[in-house]
Amino acid sequence: MLVQLNNIFKWVQSGGQRIFLLKDINLEVEEGEFISIMGPSGSGKSTLLNVIGMLDAFDEGEYNFLDESVHSLKEKDRSRLYKQYIGFVFQSYHLLDDLTVQENLEMPLLYKKMKSPERKAKVADILDRFNIVAKKDLFPAQLSGGQQQLVGVARALIANPKLILADEPTGNLNSTQSKEIMELFKQLNQEGVTIVQVTHSETNAAYGSRTINLLDGRRII
Amino acid sequence: MFKNYIKIAWRNLIKNKAYSTINIGGLALGMAVALIIGLWMQDELSHNNYFTSKDKIAQVFQSQTFNGETDTGPAIPRPLEKALREGYGDNFKHLIMATWTNDRYLKYNETSISRSGNYMQEAAPELLNLDILKGEKDGLREINSIMISESTAKTLFGSEEPIGKVIEVNNQYNLMVSAVYKDIPFNNTFNDTEFIIPWEQYLSSNEWARNAVDNWGNNSYQMFVQIADNANMEQVTDKIKDVKKSLNEDSIDFNPQLFLFPMKDWHLRSNFENGKQMGGRIKYVWLFGIIGVFILLLACINFMNLSTARSEKRGKEVGIRKSIGSQRGQLIYQFLSESFLVVLFAYFLAVALVLLSINGFNDLARKEIIFPWSDPIFWAISLLFILITALMAGSYPALYLSSFKPVDVLKGTFKAGKYAGLPRKILVVVQFTVSVAFIIGTVIVMQQINYAKNRPVGYDKQGLIQVPVMSQDFTGKFELMRSEFIGSGAVSQMSSSSAPTTAVWSNYSGYTWEGKPEGFQEDFAWSQVSPEFASSLNLKIIAGRDFSREFATDSNAVLINETAVKYMGLANPVGKYLKDSNEEDPAEPLKIIGVVKDMIAQSPYEPVKQAVFAYDKDNSSNYYNMRLNPDQSAGENLAVIERVFKEHFPSIPFQYDFVDQEYGRKFAAEERIGTLSGIFTALAILISCLGLFGLTSFVAEQRTKEIGVRKVLGASVYSVWNMLSKDFLKLVIISCFIAVPIAYFVMNGWLQEYPYRVILKWWIFALATVGAMLVTVITVSFQAIKAARANPVKSLRTE
Repeated sequence: MLVQLNNIFKWVQSGGQRIFLLKDINLEVEEGEFISIMGPSGSGKSTLLNVIGMLDAFDEGEYNFLDESVHSLKEKDRSRLYKQYIGFVFQSYHLLDDLTVQENLEMPLLYKKMKSPERKAKVADILDRFNIVAKKDLFPAQLSGGQQQLVGVARALIANPKLILADEPTGNLNSTQSKEIMELFKQLNQEGVTIVQVTHSETNAAYGSRTINLLDGRRII
Repeated sequence: MFKNYIKIAWRNLIKNKAYSTINIGGLALGMAVALIIGLWMQDELSHNNYFTSKDKIAQVFQSQTFNGETDTGPAIPRPLEKALREGYGDNFKHLIMATWTNDRYLKYNETSISRSGNYMQEAAPELLNLDILKGEKDGLREINSIMISESTAKTLFGSEEPIGKVIEVNNQYNLMVSAVYKDIPFNNTFNDTEFIIPWEQYLSSNEWARNAVDNWGNNSYQMFVQIADNANMEQVTDKIKDVKKSLNEDSIDFNPQLFLFPMKDWHLRSNFENGKQMGGRIKYVWLFGIIGVFILLLACINFMNLSTARSEKRGKEVGIRKSIGSQRGQLIYQFLSESFLVVLFAYFLAVALVLLSINGFNDLARKEIIFPWSDPIFWAISLLFILITALMAGSYPALYLSSFKPVDVLKGTFKAGKYAGLPRKILVVVQFTVSVAFIIGTVIVMQQINYAKNRPVGYDKQGLIQVPVMSQDFTGKFELMRSEFIGSGAVSQMSSSSAPTTAVWSNYSGYTWEGKPEGFQEDFAWSQVSPEFASSLNLKIIAGRDFSREFATDSNAVLINETAVKYMGLANPVGKYLKDSNEEDPAEPLKIIGVVKDMIAQSPYEPVKQAVFAYDKDNSSNYYNMRLNPDQSAGENLAVIERVFKEHFPSIPFQYDFVDQEYGRKFAAEERIGTLSGIFTALAILISCLGLFGLTSFVAEQRTKEIGVRKVLGASVYSVWNMLSKDFLKLVIISCFIAVPIAYFVMNGWLQEYPYRVILKWWIFALATVGAMLVTVITVSFQAIKAARANPVKSLRTE
């Protein structure tokens, strides 16, 4: 079991009232799955993804990641877990504007304190695998949206995570680019990477092995 | 990792050129000022460090009380030497008597030069730690010897061997060069001691000095001591303080107190008020130190403000980094290293600025500061300085930026909270408070200088020169020279006097007059003058008459000034007498024949002292005062005067001073402070404005969308400009309210030192306030108008 969420609640306090962002969420993710989270705007999809990604905290419930209980971990251990096993892909790519493609890819490895030769090898490897060697010295602003997202995925993948979390990864892309990225996810999933994506699009959701629907912070079957 | 940080930092700097220029330029400017001030302070504090026994050297000072007022000074009587040597000798390692530093003509073959120097006792080379280049260390042993400085030797002898050569001094006596010593560096007392002649020589050639051996009342000499290695200053002072009182009954009324004035205080703590040591230049060392810290603080504030203002941009980076595994500590480290890089950069720029401006600064501050390239302590302090500045400037952005939650900033929902801008606002207020206070301070210093400058001096100092005639060659030549000079057409009137017009050299007491109160201890500034004194100076006679050569009795006549009339309490001074109070063998009484206007001879900030101008009957002239012929140019006049002078005194160098320039020197210290504080104020304002400029541009950028929406809804350029400027103007107004009382308090305190001082007027404060607001509006407007005029379609489309 990769991820196990038991009765997760998350709320914000507003005018003496609790507004629930997540309400009693139970979810299990097995290794090798490709899950799509769907739901209308404001239904809590991104919040759920962020909770899974440990970027956001929750108020009640249990979260086990590879049999470690995330809710009782210290910040530092959580960060270690996160660095080692999780990669994020964002809707608006979120590459560092001041770094080249190559340097952007190197960044997660630096935070993992990997040695330079190993780093270089990994970067070269992934550039090759994603067919973007020619772009390695360009800055994000010099790339098209699709290419930027390609780099975004490559960056999420470079540290060999077990789980990739993608928050509307094709939201800013046109249909052709969108298709390329989804094909890539599918291929990665076949290679054994677990993927959880948030999406609005039925077409994209169809790439996944199963779909979770949210409405007002609640899971609906 | 560090390399990566540096890379990002560097690219950030390159990408935001305007921002980087403001940031680095402003910081460099602030650091350059702090560095220069630091070097200046170091120079001030290291004054007299040349003397290895600085801590053990002192000058013997004396405080005496007249009419309840205590005067403190270095002048001591000759018998004190014997008293100290015999009674307290084991407290001193060295004890030397010395004359005042004075100019002498030194002549070798055809070369004749004027140099300043002293007559001193044998131990002087030891006490002064003279670095003997040639000759013998005890070069003052022989009465007919002279020790000269390296530069004096070079001028006199060129490449010839100086030792053993004979120099003629003041056309009076011949001395043999016994030693050449290295020039005493600029930053030291005795820097102007370019030759030393044995004290014995002084005694043998001056009868009055010889006769003063037992005269406790003749306070005309200096005494320097180096206390014994195991002695301390306070203890020695305790032992010797009443020596004069106990040995000289006549002095008891004046309660003479002797004390050791330690060398470490000579330069910085040399003010005495009513017998108490009251600081001195150390005040300015503190003042400029504070100014330096403030200016550096201003520059750091810019750095902090601009960094946090950019936080929304950098916020995204923080979010991304956190989402790919960065911890907060690593981000703090990153931002601090960025700050370090910028500070390092700024530091090198600051060093370059210092190197460029150090000569100009030296001229302004009358210093000879050299950049301490090879001083490891300087570099160690610099490194510390860089680290502290980097921490000061970088810690707030580092802590603030790194605290962002990745989810918030990445979703784009991050909005700086209502109070996020508050620290920034407070910092802007601090900046402008400092700037406004600086403006007010500078204006008041300038006003005070101008006020004193415009004070009537009582005589006409334009077109007046004074020629020193202290050598014995001039004795008895006044009448002749006067007719020669006037005959030459270059001089329209000429007089002689025993003191220069711009100083008081002698103070006399020992006189009584009609109506003098019992026990009144009189003290007059005294000068012996030739009969033409008043007319050559255009000094107005306001009662009675001037001296006249027609009346033989005028040789016992005096003129007094207005203050003296009040001081003596005379209703009708003309015709009254000043009688010698020595009843056994009284000198002839002096008749007051006239009253002259008060003439400022001493400090232009002090009241004029009661003065007596006595008819010079014993050729005691030290200066010729010449009124130049107004129909010719000063250059022509001077050429003629020099020619006539050389005809009569071919072996004496012709020297002169314009009295107005000499008088102007009295303002030098205040003017230096005025100029420096003016420059520092300008820099402070510049730095503050740079910061404001940067800040406005970010605010304008942040609010681009808001401005776009407002414009679409019909806002005018004016209303947008108004909206952007108002916020900043408010802050500056708050600053003014804080700065005005502080500046008033501080400057009022400063002015108290000057009895003759300008009255603080409200409009100075109003002016500074309005000036600061004007500068703010102009600075802010650059960006505000640009933002207001931008096409809203463009700004809205980027969303």
